[in-house]
Amino acid sequence: MRHPLARRDRLTSLAFVVPALILFFVFVAYPIVYNFQASTLDWDGATAGTFVGLGNFVALAHDPVFTKTLLNSALWIPLTIVPQALIGLGLALMLNQPLRGRGVYRALLFLPTVLSPVVVGIVWAQILDPNSGTLAAIAEQTGLTFLKFSYLGDPKTAIFAVMVVNIWMYTGFSLLFYLAGLQLIEPSLLEAAKLDGANFWQRTTRVTFPLLRNTHLTLLLLGIIGSLKTFELLYVLTSGGPYHASEMLPTYAFKQAFQLHSIGYASAISVALLVIAIGSSLLMTRVFGAGFITGEER
Amino acid sequence: MSGRRPAQLSRRVNLLHLILVPVTVAWMLPIVIVIGLSLKPTNDPGTIAFGMLPRSPSFANYVTVFQQNPIPRYLFNSALIAVPSVVLVVLLGSMAAFALARLRVPAKGWIFGLLTLALVLPMSSIVVATFQVLQALGLYNSTFGVSIVYTALGLPFAIILIRTSFMAVPQETHDAAVVDGANKWQTFWHVYLPLARPAIAVVVVWQLMLAWNDFLLPLVSLVDKDIKPLTLIPLVYRGEHFTQVGALFAILIVVSVPIVATFAIAQRSLVNGLAGAVK
Repeated sequence: MRHPLARRDRLTSLAFVVPALILFFVFVAYPIVYNFQASTLDWDGATAGTFVGLGNFVALAHDPVFTKTLLNSALWIPLTIVPQALIGLGLALMLNQPLRGRGVYRALLFLPTVLSPVVVGIVWAQILDPNSGTLAAIAEQTGLTFLKFSYLGDPKTAIFAVMVVNIWMYTGFSLLFYLAGLQLIEPSLLEAAKLDGANFWQRTTRVTFPLLRNTHLTLLLLGIIGSLKTFELLYVLTSGGPYHASEMLPTYAFKQAFQLHSIGYASAISVALLVIAIGSSLLMTRVFGAGFITGEER
Repeated sequence: MSGRRPAQLSRRVNLLHLILVPVTVAWMLPIVIVIGLSLKPTNDPGTIAFGMLPRSPSFANYVTVFQQNPIPRYLFNSALIAVPSVVLVVLLGSMAAFALARLRVPAKGWIFGLLTLALVLPMSSIVVATFQVLQALGLYNSTFGVSIVYTALGLPFAIILIRTSFMAVPQETHDAAVVDGANKWQTFWHVYLPLARPAIAVVVVWQLMLAWNDFLLPLVSLVDKDIKPLTLIPLVYRGEHFTQVGALFAILIVVSVPIVATFAIAQRSLVNGLAGAVK
């Protein structure tokens, strides 16, 4: 195979990936390297920075707000992924039946996912507003006064309120993935289980659910990454407040960079975020195999 | 064996409407609220249904919004950012996917791994570095600069999705094209690309969501007012005209119409596209 033709063959093959690789190096690899480099500096982004080594990371380890962002991520990941998956799967199982108008249901339930987080954030800020909001109006007109509450303004509830908005927005996304996954299940397998006397619940839990493995894993991975990256909804709804109660890594990094002009510290936060995100992705592919991403059988 | 007649079965299936109708209606309430508030005229603040719907709906807010802002201009700017990034992500993504699925490329596994890395990057972490790259390339304050960054960020999803659907193309189909004398590009363009249409539909909607909905990058990298995209306007409005609630909600509708319309057109292919691609 050590033939000039074989070399040419490989070069022309490589040409297909080169444009994507160039964009990768300029807009993905470079910003990552940049973050690592800037994380070693005490730097305001304008003047020359001073090298502080791992100083920013030492400071992070002692920063209660950073701890808070990690705790919030630890809450956010299960409390958004699980409801989105359960509601999405339940709806998908129903919409997978020969049902009249299922295209309409599917389209409407997916609709929130395509909207801009800015749009979704502003609408939910209006719904949850303790003075002129929809819930407040319901509280006043029905006497259910407990509904009138400053969900986004109270440190105890702020992050959970944003999670509810996230679930509203992305359940349709899980629904669509599950509908796609259900299409790949051989009807004969379910028929066989039916002949063996399995009822609908048994067929769902023992046959359908395990066969959706790759869909579960894909949604889990995208959910973890998406949770760690959560920025827009928080920015519009709470800006990470009140008192950092709903702060997550991206909002904190953004604040440090654009409001406090501590680019070095912001970069250290981003590095932490990248390490956690890449680490959990690699862990998932180690534990479950990469088949659910690459499409290859294990 | 079960002896159940189809008519009986479909009657039971139809009972699902009893669950699906209330769930869907509840899920749509926030959208009803946006529409309702956008139709609420400032001179008649009366509402029904817990403030969700106006007593006397009117399009006055839309008129105000179009009078106060060059909406067609912003709409054009959004398209100028979104459309090139969709085209580029489909083209470059499927080229890379083709090579990674079917061609002999050195270090294939590494290239695939690296290219998917962008999936984990949050915009807020790379915005400072990106800002500098765009400046160095002379693409700062340009819609094309924003567009190309979205392309880079959208590539991993496009590559994963299209690559999987390329791998489902039978090897014999590939070989037949080669026997017919097709070179790599012709095989890719005439054989593979048409077969990945459902996956490409998903990529188009996905990329459009990314490019149409992001506001952080335009917020920091587009300075001139007349190149700003539509998504930035609600935030500006919320800050400056916070008393004009109706106008704000009319803008939210205007921002959402193009993306919702695209989704409505593409939505039939979405499930099939995902099914072919996420195996």
